[in-house]
Amino acid sequence: MKRWTTKREHQIYSSKLFQALCRSRRTSSSTSAKELHQTADRVLAITAKGTTRWSRAILAAPLTAGTNMKKHKKAKVTVHTRLRKPVVNREKRKLPVVERKLRALRRLVPGCRKLSCNNLLEETSDYIAALEMQVRALTAITEFLSRGLL
Amino acid sequence: MSGRRSRSKQSSVSSITDNQITDLVSKLQHLILELRRRRFDKVSTSKVLQETCNYIRSLHREVEDLSDRLSQLLASTDGGSDQAAIIRSLLMQ
Repeated sequence: MKRWTTKREHQIYSSKLFQALCRSRRTSSSTSAKELHQTADRVLAITAKGTTRWSRAILAAPLTAGTNMKKHKKAKVTVHTRLRKPVVNREKRKLPVVERKLRALRRLVPGCRKLSCNNLLEETSDYIAALEMQVRALTAITEFLSRGLL
Repeated sequence: MSGRRSRSKQSSVSSITDNQITDLVSKLQHLILELRRRRFDKVSTSKVLQETCNYIRSLHREVEDLSDRLSQLLASTDGGSDQAAIIRSLLMQ
């Protein structure tokens, strides 16, 4: 997890991302925000060097070209109880709070839907550190490019 | 958010996001410290988990927003090769 905070790692990620962006610009005329986000995520996963589940899940996922990104958000919608199959034991209809939060967390971290609690928390802390580096790198690249234009 | 953007041109590169991030991280740390001081009970755990989920979601939104801005920026330049070379050398240092 400490690796995401080093300057070296930041440089590796930034340059790989920049190269990927240059490549994609040569092949297609414009890069949509979704494609860029996807590229940023994939390069982040590559930088993780296959040591974490979330990174492997990102690389294993098929490239979506467009509106597929909203798919996983539907899982959050709670169906009205009348439309569900009738549950016998009414007291157990609602999961305990902690379980619900863990389920929400599992949906947020890639590739961790069936992970145990302990492993999930490990993956989460690494994922958060990686995301923070991603934000720093994207901000830096944007700043460099804006300065180049002005 | 737009107020913060106008201030950023005077201050250093990543100070906006850094402040937000340190805010959220200190919030998380605070919650974890609370957890340790008291007995382990479900309310604090769920709070920590909730804050974690919120934090990840806000990071996702931030990356989405940055991707948006960056893609617009890339679209508005012609991506001249000299600029690319300069930027690459800057990143490599």
